[in-house]
Amino acid sequence: MSYTVGTYLLYLAISIVLTVWVARTLFRSGRVFLVDVFHGNEKLADSVNHLLVVGFYLINLGYISLMLRLTYDIKDARYSIEALSLKLGAVLLVLGGMHFLNLLVFSRMRRQAALDSALPPVEPDVRLLNRK
Amino acid sequence: MRRLTVLYDPNCALCQRAWIWLNAQRQYVRLEFIPAGSELARSRFPGLDHEATLQELTVIGDGGEIYLGVKAWLMCLWALREYRSMALRWSTPDRMPLARRFVAWISHNRRSLNGVLSPRKEPT
Repeated sequence: MSYTVGTYLLYLAISIVLTVWVARTLFRSGRVFLVDVFHGNEKLADSVNHLLVVGFYLINLGYISLMLRLTYDIKDARYSIEALSLKLGAVLLVLGGMHFLNLLVFSRMRRQAALDSALPPVEPDVRLLNRK
Repeated sequence: MRRLTVLYDPNCALCQRAWIWLNAQRQYVRLEFIPAGSELARSRFPGLDHEATLQELTVIGDGGEIYLGVKAWLMCLWALREYRSMALRWSTPDRMPLARRFVAWISHNRRSLNGVLSPRKEPT
C-alpha cells in the first residue's frame, strides 16, 4: 500500500471518528435544550434533535469526502503527516463552525420559545370591575 | 391573555398611523381598536373614565386590566411577535422612565404632529 493510499485511509478514519464524536455530543447535550424549547414534549424534541444530527452528518461527511483528494503523491511519512494535518485542520474548523451554528440554532429556538410564553411585562394601572 | 382592546384618539393622525401599523403586524395577542370616548367604548366599558382615555392611550386586557400611557404602549408591543422582546427590554425599572418620558412627549405633541402627518382614511 502506497503512502498516498495510507494517508487517505488514515484521513478518512480520523475525520469520521471526529464527526461521530461531535455529532453524538450534540445529540446528547442538545436534547435537554430541545425538551425545554418544546415545553417538555420529548417526542418532538427527539425528532427535531435527530433531524438536526442527520443534517450535521450529511454536511460534514460531504465536506470530508470533497476534501479527500491530494493533488500530489505522498513519498514518505513526513509528507503524509503534513498532508493529514492540513486536511484534518480544515475538517476540524468546519466541524467547529457547524457545532457553533447548531448551538446558535438551539439558543435561538430557546429564546423564541421564552418569548412565545412571556407574561405581560408590566402590571396594570387599575383593574376594571364592572365591565360587560 | 388573548385579546387587548386599544382605545385610541380618533382625532389624531399619529394615532391612526399607529393603529394601521399595529394592525399590520403579526400578533401574539389579538388587538382590537375602539375610538376613545365613542358610544361603543362607553357601552363596552361603563366603569371607565372616558374623558381620561382621550388624554392618554388606554389598553384594556380581557381580564379587565387597564394599562395607561407608557404601559399601554408596552402592552401593544408585547402583543406583537416581532416586538415582544423590545417590550420586555423597555419595561425594566431602569429603562421605563425613559420610555415614559418619550411616550409623554409624543402624546403631548401628537396634535401638533398632526400637521406633519396627514390623516389617513380608516380601513373598513
